[in-house]
Amino acid sequence: MLLDFDKLGGVRTLLIALVALVCLFLILPIVFIAALSFGSSQWLIFPPPSWTFKWYQDLFADPRWLYSALTSLKIAAIVTVLSVVIGFLAALGLDRGRFAGRDLLRALFLTPMILPVVVLAVALYALFLKLGLAGTTIAFVIAHLLIALPFSIISIGNALEGFDRSIEDAAILCGANPWEARLRVTVPAISHGIFGAAVFSFLASWDEVVLAIFMASPTLQTLPVKIWTTLRQDLTPVIAAASTLLIAFTILLMIVAALFRKGRKA
Amino acid sequence: MAVTVVTGAVKTKRGATLGYLLPALLLIALFFIVPVLMLLMRSVLEPEVGLQNYKALLGSTTYLRVFLNTFLVAGVVTLVSIVVGYPVAWLLAIMPQKWSRIVLAIIILSMWTNLLARTYAWMVLLQRTGVINKTLMGLGLIDTPLALVNNLVGVTIGMTYIMLPFVILPLMGVIRTIDPAILRAAALCGAGKMQCFLRVLLPLSLPGIAAGALMVFVMSLGYFVTPALLGGTSNMMLAELVAQFVQSLVNWGMGGAAALVLLVVTLALYAVQLRYFNPARGT
Repeated sequence: MLLDFDKLGGVRTLLIALVALVCLFLILPIVFIAALSFGSSQWLIFPPPSWTFKWYQDLFADPRWLYSALTSLKIAAIVTVLSVVIGFLAALGLDRGRFAGRDLLRALFLTPMILPVVVLAVALYALFLKLGLAGTTIAFVIAHLLIALPFSIISIGNALEGFDRSIEDAAILCGANPWEARLRVTVPAISHGIFGAAVFSFLASWDEVVLAIFMASPTLQTLPVKIWTTLRQDLTPVIAAASTLLIAFTILLMIVAALFRKGRKA
Repeated sequence: MAVTVVTGAVKTKRGATLGYLLPALLLIALFFIVPVLMLLMRSVLEPEVGLQNYKALLGSTTYLRVFLNTFLVAGVVTLVSIVVGYPVAWLLAIMPQKWSRIVLAIIILSMWTNLLARTYAWMVLLQRTGVINKTLMGLGLIDTPLALVNNLVGVTIGMTYIMLPFVILPLMGVIRTIDPAILRAAALCGAGKMQCFLRVLLPLSLPGIAAGALMVFVMSLGYFVTPALLGGTSNMMLAELVAQFVQSLVNWGMGGAAALVLLVVTLALYAVQLRYFNPARGT
């Protein structure tokens, strides 16, 4: 009865009230930032004395914001492609391979995800300083690829697990060579896993802060690094404007993901 | 007969399989294992060979306070996340889908929103002239603004906000697998609501609670961004200490030592997780 929604009795009211409060706690900061980005107060007084687009104008008037957003986009795009390709190969190898230490290898591939990012950031920073790569796009891509790859391996690996391999074998039987069969039969069949891998890889790179702080140079910054350095100086409402645009982007991505899921069911 | 021949032909060659793994393996080896080992080596090689960095790190009250802060914040964040997250997961697991969809959308939106945007929101909300202090003063609950930011209170609030979804979502999954008939049986046998909860529902969800708590604790231990922005310089946590040694002090020996401590604690807890709560083994 504690697991029957209709028979919970008084407990139900209590639980619903608590869930409503938690929802408010989770959503209010986001709504609040969006509201403040249109408020006229430099000191972020709430409710704002009047409304304005000034902070958005400031945001777009400063080319460094736009430039850092483009840098983020470029790095995230490269990382997404590499992560999906390398992740697909690795997931395929883990799925098809029958060798000792397979589970250990899988665990190793996922370790960058559970390790404190700051340790990885400091270690890579030291290595890239030695290699003369610090502050380059390559450094960014490698760092972000390390944390994006586990998402690809998990997502594509799960999809491969649910894929009946005999379909691929049938294609080979009918005369396709193994890679033709994989690209034209297996890949379309696990497209949801590949899509998931791409979305998570993109987000992992696009939102990443800690590695980026250590990889950045004064001339090469991603958007999170730009927000970080600005945030360390003051709480200017320009950051609220930038954050609001990022939140809008997140909502858009959620809608696309939901539509994709719906389309797959139909 | 034909089938046997064909499966033989289609079978992936062992060498080919290893070839698929090679790019990922190279990436992990060259840019993960090697640099982390190199960093850890520096902790016993710089400025000279020996354990002096570890002696300095573990022997000073300044650094001891950093360890204390780290474990305290991670502990409180874990506790609050579980206590608040459990009832939410419980209701989410059983409520009608049209409602649970809305709640889930809110949770996922907060989870996917840029980390810096969320932390910024809390910096603004919690500041001296922020909405929370103003509201509390308006209600007459306090006379002077509370110090909610640049201390561990701020860090704890900001991190609980980030960690809550990580407790709610897996716990919801665990509670969904519990058979409602067991609770009906308990009620039929005369157990009151409190007894049903304490002696049936809670013990059955305990593996989920323990796994979630461990995950949040480990994640909190190594957190950098939120403590750095909401915590202020006098309330450092371990991840900030690692960054500070390297960035501001350029002391790679000490940085490596602090990184090793963080790494060892994380991996030890991860091993516990694998040993006792591995979902693949059905425990």
